[in-house]
Amino acid sequence: MTAPANVTKPTLLASTMRIFDLSLGQMLWSRRSMLLAFLVGAPVLLAAALRIASSADRLGLPRIHGARVGGAALFGMMMWLLYIRFIVPVLGVFYGTSLIADEVDDKTLTYLFTRPIPRAAVLFGKYFAYLACTVLLVLPSVVLIYLLLGPIGGTLGEAFPTLVSDLGVLALGLTAYGAVFAFVGARLKRPVVIGLVFAFGWEPAVLLIPGYLKRLTVAYYVQALVPHAMPQNSVVSQLMQALADAPSLPASVVALAVISVVALWLAGRTVERREYVLEQ
Amino acid sequence: MTTSAIVAADHLSKWYGQVIGLNDVTLSVPSGITGLLGPNGAGKSTFMKLVTGQLMPSQGEITVLGEPIWQNPGLYFRLGFCPEQDAFYERMTGLEWVTALVRLNGVDEARATEMAHRALATVDLTDAAGKKIGAYSKGMRQRVKMAQALAHEPDLLILDEPLGGMDPIARRRTIRLIKDWGRAGKSVIVSSHILHEIESMTANILLINQGRILAEGNVHQIRDLIDDHPHTVHIKAERPRELARRFLAYDDVLSLKFEDEAVVVQTGRPDVFYTRLTELAAAGELGTIHEVTSPDDNLQAVFQYLVKS
Repeated sequence: MTAPANVTKPTLLASTMRIFDLSLGQMLWSRRSMLLAFLVGAPVLLAAALRIASSADRLGLPRIHGARVGGAALFGMMMWLLYIRFIVPVLGVFYGTSLIADEVDDKTLTYLFTRPIPRAAVLFGKYFAYLACTVLLVLPSVVLIYLLLGPIGGTLGEAFPTLVSDLGVLALGLTAYGAVFAFVGARLKRPVVIGLVFAFGWEPAVLLIPGYLKRLTVAYYVQALVPHAMPQNSVVSQLMQALADAPSLPASVVALAVISVVALWLAGRTVERREYVLEQ
Repeated sequence: MTTSAIVAADHLSKWYGQVIGLNDVTLSVPSGITGLLGPNGAGKSTFMKLVTGQLMPSQGEITVLGEPIWQNPGLYFRLGFCPEQDAFYERMTGLEWVTALVRLNGVDEARATEMAHRALATVDLTDAAGKKIGAYSKGMRQRVKMAQALAHEPDLLILDEPLGGMDPIARRRTIRLIKDWGRAGKSVIVSSHILHEIESMTANILLINQGRILAEGNVHQIRDLIDDHPHTVHIKAERPRELARRFLAYDDVLSLKFEDEAVVVQTGRPDVFYTRLTELAAAGELGTIHEVTSPDDNLQAVFQYLVKS
């Protein structure tokens, strides 16, 4: 079937962009985004508290486990502990698994699947809307933390290269986790539970086991990109440091790109072939 | 199956696990307006979802406008679908929503906006085009769903219970719109559980119950049969008690009662009753009539009788 004479048949890319346009506003102002904005805002409040505490201190440096820590180190710890190990996977799970599931639950999928576009474009467009939405949530909060913590015991300029690389790592993490969970959401029932088990059960457990199994995680490659030294303040962290077998930076970037592309392709293929039965 | 059929099904079945949605249906729907009549759970929505390619047949085949519909997105240039479910992007305005959906047909922004304006005007929503859908009344929501289905001027319009919840005036306009669509040489498949509604649009009816097509064509006998059963109408209105007082004077009204802000009427002659109700709504002398619905148990008894006989 060809398009009518006065319209061009939309390509996959054009359809994806139109779904992106349609979805971004919905996603940004959704209840999910409001809730997760609080989650992303919490580290900013923590950074503000640290800044206030450091201002009150004579030396201007807060203490952690008795040792005085500078702003750059605090920033690095927050990136590592809060963002890379927690916030990025959480955002990936809650947005990625819901790309199609939300349309099914809201029963609005019908309107998108009865238009002359490839079904996969619906997933791809919503995936890119997820990326834009999460980047808009995460990156400003990271920059705010940097602005609050950077001047503690140092200058903003010193830590700037770290900020840039951290923003890149977060974007790569959101890309890979989002793609993996988009596939989980398109393919499986109870995707949120499965996503949470994957991100906070499977990944941390497997990272502790020597061998090749850790290569079946996203965290293995994301954490290898982090420029900060892992904090040594817990037994688990020390154990992980001891067992560290980090891939090189180019290998990690390539691996994350491959994971993202393959997961997205599988998700698109699933959406093309799967039948979604909406409850009346 | 005939080649001129707009929809042709050949031993079409659909089941959801152990539940049968549609059972071995073979039919051909001619061009023009066709009504799909059946009680709730009869298989109307399953049939419509198969026709619109949202579901894949479990068995048999279905073709729409001469082509298989499943995994054939190009066919949607020629189809418009108005689903039954009351589901929207609530934060968008009617105009934004219809425009965004028309853009998915490969139309540029300016032309899509123009087409959306035209479609909203067709369903009398021009004044509310800039309002958020979340603030629309039930009847307006029904109409904006219609607008997105017809904005790209499809050859085949598929409408799943399009009159549900509309006020009498909007009902009359929508029925007229559907008839005009048919007169313009386009085709419409419209489902309902109210014979009176379907009959006011077309004489070509498919009767469906328990996943099977019971009869097709011009079914006058069914009309007589249904007329023997009292028909219940639920009317939400600004002044239900004054409406009820007026209804008491009508000889076709068998009983009436109040439920919240609605009056529930049983009539022996639904066609006469609906005509009078529309006139009352148009005159506006007894306040605004917000919503008219009819429970599907009107049909259920008739279908049970049909299946037994």
